[in-house]
Amino acid sequence: MAVIARTSSPAVSDRRRPTPDIILFVAMVVLSALGVLMIYSASRNRLDALGLDPSSEMVDQAIFVAVGLVLFFVASLVDYREWRDLVPFIYIVTLIGLGAVFLFEPGTARAQRWIPIGSYQLQPAEFAKIAVILVLASVLVPAREEGMSWRRLIQALLVVAIPVVLIYLEPDLGTMLVFAFIALVMLFVGGTTLRQLAVLLAASGAGVLAIWRLELLRPYQIERLQSVFNPSSADPLGAAYNRIQSEIAIGSGGFFGKGLFLGTQTNLDYVPAQTTDFIFTAVGEQLGFVGGALVLLAYGVIMWRLLVIAGNARDRFGVLVVGGIAAMFAFHVYVNIGMTVGIAPVTGLPLPFMSAGGSTFVTMAFSLGIANSVWLRRSPVPGETYIV
Amino acid sequence: MKLSWRLTWMAVVFVAMFALLFTRLWFVQIAAGETYSRQADDQIVRLDSSLAPRGNIIDRDGIALATSSLEPWILVDRKQIPAEDEELVIQQLSGLLGLAAVEVTSAFEQAGSGGRFLLAGVNTDTAFYVLEHLDELPGVGIEEVPVRQYPQGDVMAHVLGHIGRPSPADLEENPKLDPNSTVGKSGVERYYDDLLQGIPGFEANQVNAVGRVLRPLGGEPAEAGATLQLTTDIDTQQVLEDALEEAVRLANQVKVTTGEYTNLAERSAGVVIDVTDGSILAMGSYPDFNPEVFVSGLTQREFDELLEDKVFSNLAIQALYPPASTFKAITYATAVEERLFPEGVSSANQLIECSSRLNAPFTDASQLVWRNWTWPNDDGLQDLHTSFERSCNIYFWQIALRIWNDFKGTDREDVIQDWARSVGMGERTGIDLPYEAQGIVPDRELFDEWLDEQPWRVRPEGWLGGDLMQTAVGQGAVLSTPLQLASAYATLVNGGTFWQPRVVSRAFDVDGQLIQEYEPEAIRNVGVTPATTNSLLADMRRVTSAGTAAAAFSDMGADAYLVGGKTGTAQMGQECEGIGEARVCKERDNTAWFAGVAPVDDPKYVVVVVVEEGGSGGRVAAPVARHIMQFLLGLEPTDIVDTKVEGD
Repeated sequence: MAVIARTSSPAVSDRRRPTPDIILFVAMVVLSALGVLMIYSASRNRLDALGLDPSSEMVDQAIFVAVGLVLFFVASLVDYREWRDLVPFIYIVTLIGLGAVFLFEPGTARAQRWIPIGSYQLQPAEFAKIAVILVLASVLVPAREEGMSWRRLIQALLVVAIPVVLIYLEPDLGTMLVFAFIALVMLFVGGTTLRQLAVLLAASGAGVLAIWRLELLRPYQIERLQSVFNPSSADPLGAAYNRIQSEIAIGSGGFFGKGLFLGTQTNLDYVPAQTTDFIFTAVGEQLGFVGGALVLLAYGVIMWRLLVIAGNARDRFGVLVVGGIAAMFAFHVYVNIGMTVGIAPVTGLPLPFMSAGGSTFVTMAFSLGIANSVWLRRSPVPGETYIV
Repeated sequence: MKLSWRLTWMAVVFVAMFALLFTRLWFVQIAAGETYSRQADDQIVRLDSSLAPRGNIIDRDGIALATSSLEPWILVDRKQIPAEDEELVIQQLSGLLGLAAVEVTSAFEQAGSGGRFLLAGVNTDTAFYVLEHLDELPGVGIEEVPVRQYPQGDVMAHVLGHIGRPSPADLEENPKLDPNSTVGKSGVERYYDDLLQGIPGFEANQVNAVGRVLRPLGGEPAEAGATLQLTTDIDTQQVLEDALEEAVRLANQVKVTTGEYTNLAERSAGVVIDVTDGSILAMGSYPDFNPEVFVSGLTQREFDELLEDKVFSNLAIQALYPPASTFKAITYATAVEERLFPEGVSSANQLIECSSRLNAPFTDASQLVWRNWTWPNDDGLQDLHTSFERSCNIYFWQIALRIWNDFKGTDREDVIQDWARSVGMGERTGIDLPYEAQGIVPDRELFDEWLDEQPWRVRPEGWLGGDLMQTAVGQGAVLSTPLQLASAYATLVNGGTFWQPRVVSRAFDVDGQLIQEYEPEAIRNVGVTPATTNSLLADMRRVTSAGTAAAAFSDMGADAYLVGGKTGTAQMGQECEGIGEARVCKERDNTAWFAGVAPVDDPKYVVVVVVEEGGSGGRVAAPVARHIMQFLLGLEPTDIVDTKVEGD
C-alpha cells in the first residue's frame, strides 16, 4: 500500500487514495483455493495407485498459485501504461516463444505446445494471450472512438493473425478461438462501426467454411466439434466419451453434490483430464449445483469487476486492455464449463485459476494484476471522462 | 461510473454467456440429475458372478455318482485387454492351451467385445504359469470353477445324463442363465436341473475406468445345488450293465452258431423296478458313454461318432419295441378277469389243441392262416396256464378271436387294450427322466386316425380282427419301452397298483438337510383280483422252471422256483425309411425280451431285459435276466452262456 501511495501524484495527494480492487482479488483467491482442493480430490487416488505422493499434484498447483499471486502484485505495481512502450519487444518475444515449441519433439504426431523447463513445461500460447491483448490495445488506441479506419482494422487483424497462424501449426484450436474472440471484442470496444463488424463476421464465417472444405482442421478437432452437436451418434469411446463422462459426473452430483472426496466418477478416473481441462466436473460432482453455481458466481464477480474497471479506466489503452482481459476470461469460462456440461466443444481450454497448470495460472493472475493496475490508476474524479 | 455503450453491449454478451452456462448447469444437475446418477452408478459397479457348484448325485446308499470340484480355468476379460494387444494375447493363449488360434479367436468373438468369459480348464502347472505371467497377459486370469465329476465313470451314465453349456434356446428361455455355466442335457442332470443348478454367487466391485477393482462392495457366495439321492443301487446297476454287455455278446454268439441272422445285435437295455413302490433299482442301456467327456467338451466329430451309435439314448425309456409274448401276461389277466377264453372254453383249465398253425375263421368269412412259433410241430392240448408257460400263440389268438367275434364294433372289442392301458402301456409312465417314449396300444380309433394322417402305416381296410389277434400277442402295432413293460408287470404282480416309476427319492441342501422327499406315488389301482395275480405268478414260475425259459434258468437248480418270468421274441418287421417310391426297407432280426419277477412268492422286483435284434427271448434275454435276478436274491450269479434251446 505504501508503495502504491508513493506512485500517486503529489498534486492529487489531497484526493482519496486509490485502493486496489479487493473484491477482484478475493474472487481470484477463492477460486484458486477451491481449485487446489479440487485438484487434490481428483488426483489423489490416481497418484496413490501409482505409488506416488497423493498430494504432489496439489502441491505443484499451490506453488503455481503462490507464483501467480506474486505476479498479480507485480503487475498491479507496474503502471500499465509502461507496457505500451514495450509492445514491439513483447510482440517479438511472443512470436519467438510460439515458434520455439517446434524445436522440441519436432515431427511427432502429438501437438507441440510446450517448452520444457526442468520438470515443468512452459506453454507460450498462454502468455501470448496477454501479449496479444497489449499489442492489439496499443494498435487500437489511436483509432477513432467511433468508426475506425479500414486500414487500422486490417492492421489490427494482421497483428493477431501472425501468432494465430503459429498456434494453428501447433495445433491448438481452443487458443485460436480465444484469440479470435479477444480480437473481436477488442475491435468492437475499440470503435469498429457496425458495418465493419458485420463484414468481419461474414469474413470469419467464410473462413470457417474454407477451413472446413479445405480440411485444415485435424480430424480429431472436427470430431470434437461435431460431438457437441450430436454426442450419441459419435463413437462413445472416442470423441464424445470425454463429454459424456463429464456430463454424467456433473449430473450425478445433483443439487448438493456427493460430498468432498466422495465423487465416484472424478475420483475413479472416469473423467479424463480431470485436474486440468475437466476440473469443473470435480466441482460439479462433489459439490453439486450449489458448488457449481458458486464457482459461476465467482467468475461473474470477476467479470463484473473487470467491466467496472474498464468503465473507470484513465485512458483508452486501459479500457482496451481490460476489455481484452474480460473477453479472455469470459471465453475461457464459457468454453471450459460449457464443454463439461455439453454446450461447447472439447477444445482443451483451461478453467482460469482452477485447472492444474502453471502457465495458465500465471497468465490469468498476471492479467488480473494488470487490470488491478488500471483500477489503481483510474480517473481520480468519479465521472471524469478518460484521456485519449 | 459510466460505461460507454460499447462496454454495455460487451457486458450484455457476457451476461448472456453466463446465463446459458447457469441454465445448462441447472438442467444437467437438477432436471436430469437422476438419470446421470443412475448412469454413474452403473458404470462404477461391476458384478462378477461366480458359478455355483452343481449339486451332488448319490445312489440309494449315499455312494457318490456325480460331484463337483473346483478346478482352475482361464478367465478372459476383453475389457481389460488393450485392443492393440489382443492379437498377441490370443496367440499366447493358443500356445498355452494347445488350441488353434482360430478357436481362441472364435471364443473371443462369441463373448463379444468387452465380454468376460471362461476360455478353458487348465492343469495346475498351466494355472501357475498364467498367474506368474499376468503382466504379459492383460485381461487374462485364473478362476476356480466348479467342474462336474463322475467318480463311477460310465456306470449309470444314462440315468445320470450329461451336462453342457446352455444352448441358445436355453438362454432364451432363462435369460438369467450364465452362458459360462453348465446345464443338464439329459437324464437326472436335465430333469432336476433346477435343483442341481444351485444359485450363482456374485461379487459387486467398485471399479475404475479401466476395470481395476478398487473396493469390494460385498456380494453373495455361490450356493451349491441340492444333493439328489437316487433310488438306484450302484451294485445292482453294475451287475445290470455288465449283463447287458454280455447280452449283446451272447446274442451274436448265438447268431454265429446258428448262422440264421441278418444283422448283428448292437444294443440292449434293462430295468430293475421295485414293484412295491415304483422305485428304479437299476436302469441300463448299452452301449453307454462316460458323462465326463462332456465336462471339458468334445469335438463335433467325437460327438457325431457317439451319436451314430445312439449311445446317448437311454433305450430303457426311449426305445420302442413290440413286446411280443411278454404282452401275453396282459392278455392272460384280461382273459381271467373278464372270463373271456377261446370259443367254447369256459375256464382257465379247459384244454384246447395248440396246433402248429391257426386257420382263423372270421364271421365275415375271411380267413387268416398263422403259424405258431413251434411250427411245423403241434404243441398238444393246452389250457391257459400251459399256454402261458409254453407261450402258445394259438391259445392267445383264440382269445382275441373270441373277443372279435363277440364284441366287434362295440366298446368291449378293446377289452385287451383297456387292460394294457390300465397297467401303463401306450402312455408315458411319467418317470422323472426326460425324453421318455410313449409307446403304442393300437385300436380301431388309432387305425382310423392313421388312415387319415399316415396312410402308409395301415391297410386301407383299417382295423381288423387280425390286428386284434396280433395285439393279443404283443405284435402288430403294439410298441413298448422296456420301462413300460416293467411297470406293467409290476402292476400285475403287486396286486394292481400302478406306481409311478422314479429314480430320485430325496433332495438335500448343502448342509445335508432334507429339503424334499419324493414319496412313491400310486397313480391308480387296477382291479386285479388276488386270484388272478397268484395264478399269473404261478404260471410265470412255470415259465422259468419248465417253460420257454427253463433252459436259461437251469443253472439255478431248485432256486429257479424262487423266480418267474415270461419270454418274448419280437418280430421286428422291416425297418423302412422314406415314403412313397423312395421308401427303402431292410429286414430286421427278432428282438429278445424277458420280463422276470423275484421273488415270485412275494414279488419285490421286476426285471426286464431287451436285446435289440438279439434273437430268441428264451435263449438270449432269459439268461441275462436270470443272472440279474440271482444277484437280487443274494445268490451267486452264474455266467451268461448259450443254453442252445430256443424259447419264444
